Amino acid sequence: MIRMGWRNLWRNRRRTALTMTTVGFATAILVLTQALMHGMVEGTARNATDTFVGEVQVHAPGWVTDRSFYNSLAAPRPVLAALAEAGLPAAPRAYGFGLTARANKSAGAMFWGVDPAAEAGAFDLPASLERGSFLTAAASREVVLGRKLARSLEADVGSEVIAVVEAGDGSIGNELFTVVGILQGLGETADRSAAILHSDDFNALFVAGGRIHEIAVNTRGAVAPDRLEARVVALARDADVRTWRELLPMVSDMLGVLDASLWIFSSVFLLAAGLGVTNTMLMAVYERTHEFGVLKALGTPPLRIAADVAVEALLLAVVATGIGAGAGTAGALALQRWGIDTAAWAGSTSLAGVAFDPIWRASFSLGALTTPVLTMWLVCVLAAVYPAASVARLRAVEAIGRT
Amino acid sequence: MISQSSCRGAGGSGRVMLRLASVTKEYRDGEVVVRALRGVDLEIGAGEFVAMAGPSGSGKSTLLHIAGALDRPTAGSVEVDGHDLATLSERELARLRRDRIGFVFQSYNLIPVLTAAENAEYILMLQGVAAAARRQRVRELLAEVGLTGLEDRYPRELSGGQQQRVAIARSLASGPALVLADEPTANVDTATADSLLDLMERMHHQRGVTFLFSTHDPRVMRRSHRLLGLVDGRIEGDGAPADLLDGRL
Repeated sequence: MIRMGWRNLWRNRRRTALTMTTVGFATAILVLTQALMHGMVEGTARNATDTFVGEVQVHAPGWVTDRSFYNSLAAPRPVLAALAEAGLPAAPRAYGFGLTARANKSAGAMFWGVDPAAEAGAFDLPASLERGSFLTAAASREVVLGRKLARSLEADVGSEVIAVVEAGDGSIGNELFTVVGILQGLGETADRSAAILHSDDFNALFVAGGRIHEIAVNTRGAVAPDRLEARVVALARDADVRTWRELLPMVSDMLGVLDASLWIFSSVFLLAAGLGVTNTMLMAVYERTHEFGVLKALGTPPLRIAADVAVEALLLAVVATGIGAGAGTAGALALQRWGIDTAAWAGSTSLAGVAFDPIWRASFSLGALTTPVLTMWLVCVLAAVYPAASVARLRAVEAIGRT
Repeated sequence: MISQSSCRGAGGSGRVMLRLASVTKEYRDGEVVVRALRGVDLEIGAGEFVAMAGPSGSGKSTLLHIAGALDRPTAGSVEVDGHDLATLSERELARLRRDRIGFVFQSYNLIPVLTAAENAEYILMLQGVAAAARRQRVRELLAEVGLTGLEDRYPRELSGGQQQRVAIARSLASGPALVLADEPTANVDTATADSLLDLMERMHHQRGVTFLFSTHDPRVMRRSHRLLGLVDGRIEGDGAPADLLDGRL
């Protein structure tokens, strides 16, 4: 059956080659698009999680909606210890509002109290600098500023910035900090307001007494999202545990839209390829009506004749998708390595506080290859159903009469 | 009109291989109703070697199609090898054609993408015969029809006579009881026609297969053991070829 199908396929070389080109091109585009979209989704998710948000966050109940300085985690140390024991990288953070000033410039700021070693272990934040360096391991009155905040203060690396805050005990806390680094674009909120301090400096400034508002957990994809959430929930029983998709719903929704648009886009290409195959098979079947009549006269059952047509379509699909998948894979691997620099026309973009990497890279995976290929096979076989059914219904005596 | 109702099989088995009773076939050609067969009664015994003659449009091909379970009559009954065709489903008719009936067509009708051996092998494959047994049987068959060495040639690489030999081998591959041949020698020269008839006659003798073939050629008619004369959808003559051709019937 396969041998006969293969030979039949090449009876009209030009038509078969044209259809194969259509199917192959559609497959290549689909593989490439899948890889690019996966790259965008993964890149966005990575940006959203790896920089500082993390895959899961632990807070005191109600903190996410009412970020009160006093609503901190009740017992963060055991949770941190349990996370460390479970091998889940985590960074504790404290937050407080205040005022920053330099010379005659001042701006409101959100002060972050962080553990530089923990941040380096779980996040890219210490490396996400436009210039300068991150905080040193020991408290030394250093601050890292968001880039727009630094611009507002006309501050640069080495500048001194005064911080004035309402401390936890009701007093006014103030201190002079040296700017050691300026963050690169991390999203509107961080750019405009982030003033990152060592946790000891934060505690001293805010008289925080070791308060921790947030524990951000980030395995960099090593643990599946659902499993990670379940494990953290088990370790932090009385706390509010949220995934990044819950914390950044706009980004999550955008990824959902991307996914849906990928399917719509793919459907158009699959439809075009399917119509091409239907046309080819209809022509092939029409030209061979007499021959099918002979096969029927010889006693070939209708189902077997229909299967012959389907096999022919499948062979066409296998060869065409093989070539298309090869081309698509090569393109995807190239775009995975070099990416597309979108900075020229898109500039730096962010959504819901998450910055997008201006270099759009593909993410090639087995799924990005097999999904379009297998779907294309299915489409090609389905496209052959009508021609196959019309052949199966032929009456032998009428078909033999046609030349 | 002379209609033959007795069984005069060459094999003398007395068994009826093909029986048509009051068979009528009408079909529409645009607005016109064509009556291709008009109440044909015919019995052919197992092992007979029968030719059917008649002018174009006399109903020869229609009769062969109905006898070969390719078409159903408008009225009347058809029995092949003991099977009443009216009672069989399309699937059962296909199986009957595959296992019990062989076809030889005027224009050979070989599958162009299959080699000579593969064409002959096709029905055996449908029957589910194992590959090794299939090849062995086809090799022997092609040797019998004089095509040794040409097994791997495609139809386009064979002469008309050679293609018809392949078609005869294909018709016999499944071990049919009845072979129906629609003007099998029409497209070949005289010498080739003679050799094809020799071959068909040899197969008939060796295998005891019943042959019914249509022809226009008086030389071919003379080689048959029984000749039917078909005119305007009716059997107008039935008897020994010499008698019919000499106008004695």
